[in-house]
Amino acid sequence: MSVSKSLDTDFLNSEKKTLFRFAVLYILLTLVIVSVFSFMYYDAQKNLMLQEKKPLLQEYSKELIQELKKLHRDFDKRQTYPRSQQYDSAIYDNERKLIFSTSSIELDVHKILYLEKKMIHLVNIPESYYLGAKYIIIQIKDDGIWLEQTKKTIILFVSLAFVFMMGVGYILLRLFLKPMRDAIELLDRFIKDTTHELNTPVSTIVTNIEMIDKSVLDSKLLKKINRIDIGAKTISNIYQDLTYLTLGNKIISNDELVDIKNLAMERIDYFNSLASAKKVSLDLEIKENTSLFIDKAKISKLLDNLISNGIKYNKINGFITILVDQKCFIVKDTGIGISQDDIVQLQERYTRFNTSTGGFGIGLNIVSSIAQEYDLSINIESELDIGTEVSVRW
Amino acid sequence: MVKNAFLVLLLMHTLLLANVYEENCVACHKKIPVSIDKYFYKYLLIYSGEEATKYAIINYLKVPVKETTVMSDSFISRFGVKKPSSLSEKDLQEAVDIYWEKYKVFGKLK
Repeated sequence: MSVSKSLDTDFLNSEKKTLFRFAVLYILLTLVIVSVFSFMYYDAQKNLMLQEKKPLLQEYSKELIQELKKLHRDFDKRQTYPRSQQYDSAIYDNERKLIFSTSSIELDVHKILYLEKKMIHLVNIPESYYLGAKYIIIQIKDDGIWLEQTKKTIILFVSLAFVFMMGVGYILLRLFLKPMRDAIELLDRFIKDTTHELNTPVSTIVTNIEMIDKSVLDSKLLKKINRIDIGAKTISNIYQDLTYLTLGNKIISNDELVDIKNLAMERIDYFNSLASAKKVSLDLEIKENTSLFIDKAKISKLLDNLISNGIKYNKINGFITILVDQKCFIVKDTGIGISQDDIVQLQERYTRFNTSTGGFGIGLNIVSSIAQEYDLSINIESELDIGTEVSVRW
Repeated sequence: MVKNAFLVLLLMHTLLLANVYEENCVACHKKIPVSIDKYFYKYLLIYSGEEATKYAIINYLKVPVKETTVMSDSFISRFGVKKPSSLSEKDLQEAVDIYWEKYKVFGKLK
């Protein structure tokens, strides 16, 4: 697996997140637009249907008015309200008080032509108010055929519009993201290539310094060589961290039984020159030797970061003790310490590692990602100006 | 004796039943061949609701003129326009209320 390919995967993940957010917003917007158009279409179809039914309702209304006229004339002889099989009706006076109704539902005389509760209504005002009826309402049942057809059309329209809008949205997204994507790709490629190019010179420096027979050197030259050694190891550490971030957490772990005591001794030996430069003593304390089934490179990286931090934030003539016990190892220093608030923040950073990969140190990222991969619990205890104790338990 | 008592009872009954509408409206309209309910339905045909109808009747009774009558020209030519009512505002209102209750359409349709 190449470094380049690994980072491409990362980039695609972040792009997917942006795409998802945009898609949610775009879908919501599309739904709103489609709903508005659908409602407008529904309203237009309803009005069309009402206009189509209007002549029939007017015919019924005329019929009823004629009957009311007769009844008005003979009201002293008969009081039977005219009824029809085709429609229901109601009459209201000018104060909109109901005089009589054959309908079972409450009617509205404020509208003229309307659909309510699957019933079509026409409100008519006759020239003369027979029986005091100023408002005559004719009510017929809506057969619902227009509604079924409208529903089908709306479903078809919504589906087509949705597909179209999604297509347009995708094209727009690709178009808008392209400059950003190009810039990120360029930056990514630069980091990957630089990291890769660092490998050979750094390895050459470190290997050659190790090959020098320091016993034959005079003290001045030895000092200079030691400084080069420290510088080279620092660069080497940064290189390894970058390599781990770009590649390490993507490759399959090669787990094996790692002797923690031996590992701690190896790393102490490695960091000795760096610690000496800051006049920091590195000690190993074995309470009970232990081993852990883990990828050696990864646990080594985790320990390196803890030791490196211990050296970086230590005082002159300070101490770093690595304590190994049955189910844990502890890296203890006599450094500047961390305030309680900062410890809380650090703990949060550990737990947030998977959801937010930016904004804090590379070392911390690596420690938390390895800890999470192997279910290791990390606990930080610290006192300002006294020191810090980081324990790794399993 | 029994006959006298019966006559007293009949007189009391008549006095109790008689009201401002019966005494002032019905009594007068009996002399005209058009029954009193016909006027009511004429008003209803034009004014529709209770408030508007009562208001129009009272106004006409107070100031009866040809322009505000609901009756036809032939009717007016034959019977003329009535004289303004001498009843008080309260009595007029009471008479018209009784008139409305007697002939209103509400609750009568089947």
